[in-house]
Amino acid sequence: MEKIDCYIPETLQEALEILHREDVIILAGGSDLMVFHKNEPSLIPEFEKSVMIIRNLNELKGIRINSNGECEIGALCTSNEIAESTIVPWHLRQAASRMGAVGLRNSATIGGNIANASPKGDMPGPLYLLDARVKLTSLNGSREMLVSDFIIKFKSIDLKKDELITKIIIPYSERDFDYIFWHKVGTRKSNAISKITVGMALKFAEDEIVKDFRLSATSTGAKTNRNRDVENLLIGSKITEENISRVIEAFDQVISPRAMPVFRRESTKRMIRRFLSQCLLHPESRVIDTYDSYYVPGSPKPVFNI
Amino acid sequence: MIKDIDFILNGKKVTIKVNPLSRLLDVLRDNLNCKDVKEGCSEGECGACSVLLDDRIVTSCLIPIGAVQNHEIKTSNYVTSTEKGKIIAEAFADGGAVQCGFCIPGMIIAAYDLLSRNSNPTEEEIRLGISGNICRCTGYDLIVSSIRLAVERGGDIWKK
Repeated sequence: MEKIDCYIPETLQEALEILHREDVIILAGGSDLMVFHKNEPSLIPEFEKSVMIIRNLNELKGIRINSNGECEIGALCTSNEIAESTIVPWHLRQAASRMGAVGLRNSATIGGNIANASPKGDMPGPLYLLDARVKLTSLNGSREMLVSDFIIKFKSIDLKKDELITKIIIPYSERDFDYIFWHKVGTRKSNAISKITVGMALKFAEDEIVKDFRLSATSTGAKTNRNRDVENLLIGSKITEENISRVIEAFDQVISPRAMPVFRRESTKRMIRRFLSQCLLHPESRVIDTYDSYYVPGSPKPVFNI
Repeated sequence: MIKDIDFILNGKKVTIKVNPLSRLLDVLRDNLNCKDVKEGCSEGECGACSVLLDDRIVTSCLIPIGAVQNHEIKTSNYVTSTEKGKIIAEAFADGGAVQCGFCIPGMIIAAYDLLSRNSNPTEEEIRLGISGNICRCTGYDLIVSSIRLAVERGGDIWKK
C-alpha cells in the first residue's frame, strides 16, 4: 500500500506548495469527508490518498464587504459563522442556519459544501440565486468563476489539482429585491438533509412590471437548478395567473427529480405559485413565507388558490 | 505516520503522539481517558460525542485530531466542574432530565453552548439549541424544562 501522509499547513502559501507538488485530499471542516471515510470505532479513518487538513488556515476565514459592495466569504467560514453574520445575504444565512446539527455547523464550511457538489447541498441554492462566484487560487495565480459553472454535475467540480477554493463572492443581497423566499423541506425541522429547497427573489419596476425574478431549487435533479429562460418569462411583464402558470410549467420541464418525483414537482409548483401570488399583493413583509399563519390579520387574502 | 499534536484539554496543555487523521473522539476516549465523551452515530447527527472546541460545540467524531493542533478542547466532565456547568448538571438531576444517561454529556455541552450565547432562551430556542442531540429515553420535555431551571437558578451568571 502506498504511504498515506497527513499535512497540516499553517499558511496558505504552504498549502498551495503542497498542492503544487502532490495529489492530496483537501480536508476543511471534515463533516462530509470524515463520514465518507469513517472506519470502525477506535480505528483510523481510511483515506485512499494523503490528506491535507486546512481547517485552521486563517487566510481563508472572515466575512467582509469589498470595495464593490459585494459580500466576500472566506472558504473556511463555518455554517454558524455565516448564519450569525449580519452582512451575509439573507438567502445564504437561511440555508446556513438550517444545515445539519448545531455541532456540525461549527465544522462544516462553505468551501466544503460547494466542493462536495451534492445536489442536496444547502449552500449552492442561494449562491446560484445570487450569481455568486468562487475564487480559486494556486501558485500560478487566481481565477474566478460562477458557482453555477464551477459545479459541473453530480459530485464533479472544475477544480484543478493544484487549486484551492479561497473565497466566495456574492454580488447581490436581499436589498436588491422587493420580495424574497427561501423554504427547506426536510424530514424534520432540524438535523435534516434537504428533500427539496426552493429560493426565490423578485423586484418590481414601475407599473407592476417585474424587473428581476430569480428561482433556484435544490434536490430536484443531478445538480442545483436555476434557469434564466424560465426567469425571463416573467421579467418585463406583469404577474398574472397566466404568467404564473407559464413559469411553473416551464420550471417543471427544467427539474428532473428521480426519487419521489410527484411530491418534489408538486411542492415546487406550489411554492412558486405561493410566492408570486403573494408578491402581487404587495405585503408589508419582504419575506414571503409558506404559512398563512405568518400573515397579519386583516391583510388581503391570497388571490389564487394555493 | 505519527505526529506530535499539542492542544489544551480541559485547561491543561497536552502533547500526544498520534496519527493526525485519528478522530478527536477516539483520541479523547482511548488515549486521554475522557470516557465522558460518548460515541453514538459516528456521523455527526446524534450529538453524543459533543465537546467544546474553542468554546463552541462540535461533534468530535467528525474532527481529525490534526485539526485541533494548538486549539482548546473542553469535555463535559470539565464543564460540569465549573460554576456554570454545575448549575446545569444540578438542574438536570433535580429536573429529572436523565434516564439512561448516554446522551447527557452531549446535552450538557449543548446546553452550555446555548446558554453562553443566549442567557435567557425561550422554549423554542432551547429546543433549537439541543436539536443536534438525540435522546431516545425522555422525549426531551424534561431536558428542556431542566435547561429552563438552570436559566432561572443561574440568573445573571449566564450574562457573564
